[in-house]
Amino acid sequence: MKTFKYIWRNVTRNWIRSSLTILSVGVSLGLMTLLYGFIASQDEWGKEAKKNNRIVVMNVQGFSGQLPIASVDTVRGMQGVDAAVPYSWYGGKYQNKEMPFAQFATDPNEVFNVWPEFTISEEELKAFKENRQGCVVDRRLLAKWGWKVGDRIPLQGTFYPFDLDLQIVGAFDSPQNTDSIWFSWSYLDEGLKQKNFARTGNSGTIFARVGSAEVMPAVIKAIDDRFESSDSPTRSQTEAAFAQMFVDMLGNVRSYIQSIAIAVVFSLSLVTANSMAMSMRERVTEIAVLKAIGFSRLRVLSMILGESMVVTFIGACIGFLIGCMWLQLLNSAIPQYFPFKPAEMIGPWMLTTFVAAAGIGLVSGLIPALKAAQLSVVDGLRRIG
Amino acid sequence: MIPVRYNVRNLRVRWMTTLMTVIGTALVVAASVLTLSLIAGIDHALRISGHELDLIALRKGSTDEISSGLEQKVAREVSSLPGIARDAAGQPLCSVEFVTILTKPRRNNQGTTNIIVRGLEPVGRSLRPDFKITEGRDLNPGLNEAITSRQMAERFENLRLGEKLEINKRDFTVVGYFEASGSSAESEVWTDLKDVTLARATPEVATTVNLRAQDMDARKTLIDALENDKRFLMSAVTEIDYFKEQLSASYALWVIGIIIASFLIVGASFAASNTMFAAVASRSREIGTLRALGFDRRAILISFLLESVILCSLGGVLGCICVLPFSGFSTGTANWQQFSEITFSARLSPLVLSAGILLAVGMGLFGGLLPAIRAVGMNIITALRER
Repeated sequence: MKTFKYIWRNVTRNWIRSSLTILSVGVSLGLMTLLYGFIASQDEWGKEAKKNNRIVVMNVQGFSGQLPIASVDTVRGMQGVDAAVPYSWYGGKYQNKEMPFAQFATDPNEVFNVWPEFTISEEELKAFKENRQGCVVDRRLLAKWGWKVGDRIPLQGTFYPFDLDLQIVGAFDSPQNTDSIWFSWSYLDEGLKQKNFARTGNSGTIFARVGSAEVMPAVIKAIDDRFESSDSPTRSQTEAAFAQMFVDMLGNVRSYIQSIAIAVVFSLSLVTANSMAMSMRERVTEIAVLKAIGFSRLRVLSMILGESMVVTFIGACIGFLIGCMWLQLLNSAIPQYFPFKPAEMIGPWMLTTFVAAAGIGLVSGLIPALKAAQLSVVDGLRRIG
Repeated sequence: MIPVRYNVRNLRVRWMTTLMTVIGTALVVAASVLTLSLIAGIDHALRISGHELDLIALRKGSTDEISSGLEQKVAREVSSLPGIARDAAGQPLCSVEFVTILTKPRRNNQGTTNIIVRGLEPVGRSLRPDFKITEGRDLNPGLNEAITSRQMAERFENLRLGEKLEINKRDFTVVGYFEASGSSAESEVWTDLKDVTLARATPEVATTVNLRAQDMDARKTLIDALENDKRFLMSAVTEIDYFKEQLSASYALWVIGIIIASFLIVGASFAASNTMFAAVASRSREIGTLRALGFDRRAILISFLLESVILCSLGGVLGCICVLPFSGFSTGTANWQQFSEITFSARLSPLVLSAGILLAVGMGLFGGLLPAIRAVGMNIITALRER
C-alpha cells in the first residue's frame, strides 16, 4: 500500500507530463477500441446469423442470376425445411435519396416463420397479409423517419422499372437494427409484368429455415443437387456464410485495420517509454537515495514498472470510454456499418485493449526500470542535474 | 532571432529522446499517408475513367450499369443520332455493352466477391483511356475468349492467362491482359458482347450505351435527345458525373481514414508536447541566459516552436520514406454502387506526401505551443538560478 502511495505521488508530481502521456495513450487506445469494435461487430453479425438455422439460396452466378419463383415452393417442400420465402432486393430511392434503407420483396404469409425471432402483433401481421401494397417496417426505422402506421411510402425503382406505392401497415421488433422494410413480392412482380419487364417471376434469393443446425449441411446439399441440372442452378449456404460474403467484399480492410493497430501499439510503447525515461533521468539522485537507505533492487524495479503501468492503465480506461462512445455514436449515425451497440458485443476484443495497455506499460517501463535498478548508488548520488 | 543551429544541436544532444519521438511520429504519419494514398488511388481510378465528352446511357431510372437493362436492337439505334464523334475509319464512337456481376473467389482463400464482366464490341476499346494489350492478345469474338488486367489476374482465381472463367457453365479462356491508364476498366473482365449474352441466355439484352460526343454542344444535344426520344426510354449522364457518383466506394475508406488520422494526430501531438516540455524544463538555465543576452520573448517562442516542428517533420519525412515501398501496391475494396469490387493501386502522389509532412508540421506546432509558452513565461532570474 505504501509502495502504491509512492507510485501515485510520482505519477502526480509532474502532472503535465503524466496527463499528456495518459491522454496520448487514451486517444490512441480509443482508436484501437473503435477499430476492434468495428471488426467485432462484423463477427457478431456472423454469430447472430449462426443462431437461427437459416439457409440462403441464390443463383450459382451470384446476385445477377435469377431464381424462378417456383423454386421457393420446391425448397419449401424439401425435407428438413420448415419455411421458405422469396427475398428480393428492391434498392429503390425514397425522397430522391438512394437506398436510404433496405427494401425487400418477400412473402407476407411466410416471412415471419422464416424469421421467428422477429415479432409483430397479430392484427398488423393480418393487415400485412391482406393489403397488397402493405409493408412492415423495422420499429427503429419507423422512429428514425418519424413514420406512423398508415403512412404512404413511395419508392422509385432503380433496379426495376416499376415504382412502388407502399403503405405502412405495421412495425416489427428485431434483435438488431435491420434497417429494412418488407413488402409483398407479388405486388412487385405484377407491376413488373404490366411493364413488360424481361425478368419477371424472379424470387431473387430464397431464405429458408430448417429445424436444426445438424441437418443444415444435408439440406444445403439436397437443394443444390435438386437444382443442379435446371436452368438456374443454385448455390446455397448458411446465413452465416452469406453474411461473411458481405464482410469479404470489404476486402483487405480488416488486415489493414489490424496493421494500423499494431503500428499504434508500437508507437505508443515508444511514447510512454520516452516519458518514463525522461522522468527517470530527473530522478536519478532520488533513486540512489532510496537504494542507499535500503530499498531492494526488486522494489525499485517494481515501483517504476508500477508507475508506467498506472499511467497506461488510466490511459486505457479513458481510451476504452472514448472508443465505446464513438461506437455508440456511429451505431446511431450509420447503423448499416455499425449494427451493434458496444454493450451488445462484449467479448475478448475488449480485453485486448486492456492487455495492450498493460503490455505497453510493461514494455515501456522496462528499460528505465532496469536502468534504475542497476544504478550504482555512488554514481547516482554524485550526479548533479 | 535565435539561429536554427541551436535547435538542431539540441535535438542531437538529446538524441535518444529525439529518436523515440521521431519514430513515434513517423509511424503515425506513415499510417495516415498510407490511408490517404489508398483514397487517392480510388479517386484516381474513378477520375481518369471519366472523359469529359463521354456519355453513359442507361435505362431510365437506373443509376448504375448493374441495374440497367436495354434491348440491344434499340440500343444500337443510338449510334444514328447526330453529334457522335467518329473514329479514323468513320465509325461512330458508340458502344453497346452488357455488364453483369459474377460471384467469384479471390486467390489465397481471401473469400469471394463480385467481379464485373463486360461484354462489348471492338469500338468500346477506343472509348477507354489509352487502352492497350500488354500481354497475350486481344480476344476474338465468337470463341468465348476474355481479357482482363494484370491486377485482376493476380487477385482472382481463374483469371490468369490461359485459365478459364466459367459463366453459366461455359468456359471463357483468358487470352490477354490490357491496361487503360488505371481506370475502372482495369477492375473488369472483358469479353465479346454476343458471347456473354448468349452464355447468360439473354441474347437480346444490353445494359449500357457508351458514346462520345463531338464537342460540348453535341454532348448537351445528345443528352436531351436520349432523354426525350420515346424510342429509347433511356437517360444519359456524362461519364464524369457517373463516376463521381461511384466515389462513394471510397466513402467508407474516407471515414476510416479520417477517423484514424485524426485520432493518431491528436495522440502523437500529445507525445510531441511531452518531449518539448522536458526539453524546456531541462534547459531553463539556457533560456534564462538567452533572455539575459537580449533575445526577446518572441524569439524564444519561435525558437521552441521551430524545434518542435523540426522534431515532428523529421518524423514526417521518415514516415513518408517508410511508405514509399507501398507505392503502386494494388488492392481492392467494395464498390457498393456496382455491388462489386474495384481494384486500385496506392498512389503516393506529391499531394499525398506533402499532406503527410503537413500533418507532421501541424503536430509539431500544436504539440510545441504549450511548452514554448511555458519557456516564454519564465522569469529570467529564477531561470538562471535553476540547476
